Amino acid sequence: MSDVLLQIKNLYAGIAEDEKEIIKGLNLEIKAGEIHAVMGPNGAGKSTLSYVLTGKPDYEVTSGEVFFNDKDLLRLAPNERACEGLFLSMQYPVAITGVTTNNFLKHAINAQRKYKGLPELDAAEFLKLIRGAAKEFNISSEMLKREINVGFSGGEKKRLEILQLSLLQPKLAILDEADSGLDIDALRTVAEGVNKWHNQNNALLIITHHLDLLNYIRPDFVHIYADGHIVKSGSMQLAEDLEANGYKNYLEE
Amino acid sequence: MSLLQNINLWGDDIPYLSGLREKNRISFEKRGLPDSKTEDWRFSYFKQDDMQNPVIDNEPIKCEGHCHSNDKLPFNALQIRYCNGKLHIEDWNLPNGVVIKSLIEAVYDGDIKSYLNKSFNPDDFPFAALNGAYLEQGLFILIERGTVLSEPLYIKYHNSADKNRLCNIRNTVVAENGAKATVIEHFCAEENAVYTQNVVNEIFVGNNAELNHYVWQNEAKSAHHISLNSVQVKSGGNYSAFCANGTCKFSRYESYVRLLQSGAAAEINGVYKLSETEQVCDITTNIRHLSPHTYSNQLVKGVAKVRAKGVFQGQIHIAPDAQQCEGHQLHRALLLNDGAEIDCKPELEVFADDVKCSHGASSGDLDKEQIFYMQARGISEDEARKILVDAYLNEVFALNKNPDISEWIKEQF
Repeated sequence: MSDVLLQIKNLYAGIAEDEKEIIKGLNLEIKAGEIHAVMGPNGAGKSTLSYVLTGKPDYEVTSGEVFFNDKDLLRLAPNERACEGLFLSMQYPVAITGVTTNNFLKHAINAQRKYKGLPELDAAEFLKLIRGAAKEFNISSEMLKREINVGFSGGEKKRLEILQLSLLQPKLAILDEADSGLDIDALRTVAEGVNKWHNQNNALLIITHHLDLLNYIRPDFVHIYADGHIVKSGSMQLAEDLEANGYKNYLEE
Repeated sequence: MSLLQNINLWGDDIPYLSGLREKNRISFEKRGLPDSKTEDWRFSYFKQDDMQNPVIDNEPIKCEGHCHSNDKLPFNALQIRYCNGKLHIEDWNLPNGVVIKSLIEAVYDGDIKSYLNKSFNPDDFPFAALNGAYLEQGLFILIERGTVLSEPLYIKYHNSADKNRLCNIRNTVVAENGAKATVIEHFCAEENAVYTQNVVNEIFVGNNAELNHYVWQNEAKSAHHISLNSVQVKSGGNYSAFCANGTCKFSRYESYVRLLQSGAAAEINGVYKLSETEQVCDITTNIRHLSPHTYSNQLVKGVAKVRAKGVFQGQIHIAPDAQQCEGHQLHRALLLNDGAEIDCKPELEVFADDVKCSHGASSGDLDKEQIFYMQARGISEDEARKILVDAYLNEVFALNKNPDISEWIKEQF
């Protein structure tokens, strides 16, 4: 097995209804152990990339290939992609009335265990697992009893996303604007959680439009994403240049 | 075959009882079965042929023990059974302050007379009139003044598949002043049984009394189920009902509640889940605020797929002098595919000017974003839909006062 976790080859995709391509000829390779940051201005289609990779039904791939862990990712259902180890921390985590956070997490963990042929966790095992992890992210047992993301603050939502990352232990995590709406403390908690999870066997794709999070989670590669593809790749230095000069140099090309 | 047959019933020799039967028979003869032209039934009616010639028998009970199977309940309860529409007379170990006897015995003893057939007019309820023409099988339950029952009364109705029966059952439940009790009705049957359950409950809630009523309608797929819950609530009394419906091909759960005096309150909540083609499930309520300072609340939520049909007809009536009442009603439904149908008829009839009333109805599909969020965590689409449907209905279950009973129904629902 190669150590390439994700390989995107000449990908074209967009929203199915609109028949308009948003991703236009994207190429990207992510190896185990790496942290990549995709930076781009608002409206460049960064979130589209995360949705196409995770298989959101409204999005359609018109051409190109994506391999994840040597598997043809685009052939897998969204839940299969998750079970194969792809995780998306959403920009706007969805509130679900009537489903407690505990219950949601239990369903998610057991669905992934079932996929891997592992026995499902019973109530006691689950509680033990969740209590330890929740403490780390400053998530109270009260919060776990509340309906998931219903009335949660921006910080609570993002901390919960990272709790899920830590519980599900994916191979590749996509953080879509994980820093939006966070104060410094929450940002640190999120970053610490991500850094703790990250190791040589997994990888991270950070989608963001500014530098904040990257100061806490240092990427190995920074890609500037505009008009549906990567216009320039580089190191952290590239991100810092962007912060100083803005995107306009890259958009005018 | 006529639904009105001349068969001998227990107590034909008692003029009072035969008189009541005759009165109901005349009511039913006048109107017959409701059809598409019967306003209260136009969304949900069936033809006599659909019942496939049921037997109306006057045989004594023949129990082969089917009704005792799966009797294990996760809570303590006083258990009462009906087997194929016939009441099991057992040596109930009754706590102080509780009287339970058969309808016939209560007629002989005379203590049912101020209640039996007193809470509604059979001309308005065709199936209840049919039920009244065969007044024989039934319970008389009396919770005496101030008695607080710590354990619920659990009534199990079981039907077997050997014969297609029309079961007419009349229960009379009286909670005297200050009494508190919980009654559970659990309908169940052998899987392939064909029958028509026609139950009428007359419920009398006294001053400051409290009656909690749970109905778990887990009838066989091919069954018809019609029930009328005719309720009277006196000053400060509280009636709260919860029904879980949707397993049989036709069901109608009707609540006719009269809030007679100040401070009387009623809550009617329900859920239904329909997944069989041509299935019909009707919840009809009529809450009548007849005095000032009376309160009612209704929340009904349903889920329908394939070509099933859910019906909610909710009426709130506020009488001319009934000022400062509150009556609220909400029906929400999920239509999981194009063929499913929901008919909703909310009716507010308000004759007083200083009241708070509301009604609402909505229908829609599951939220795609929620499904995707769950999928993105590894949960399959089917499983996600199931979780979301349960969550949707859970809002109603969560209102139940007894969590053990609520959980017991929810797990099987």
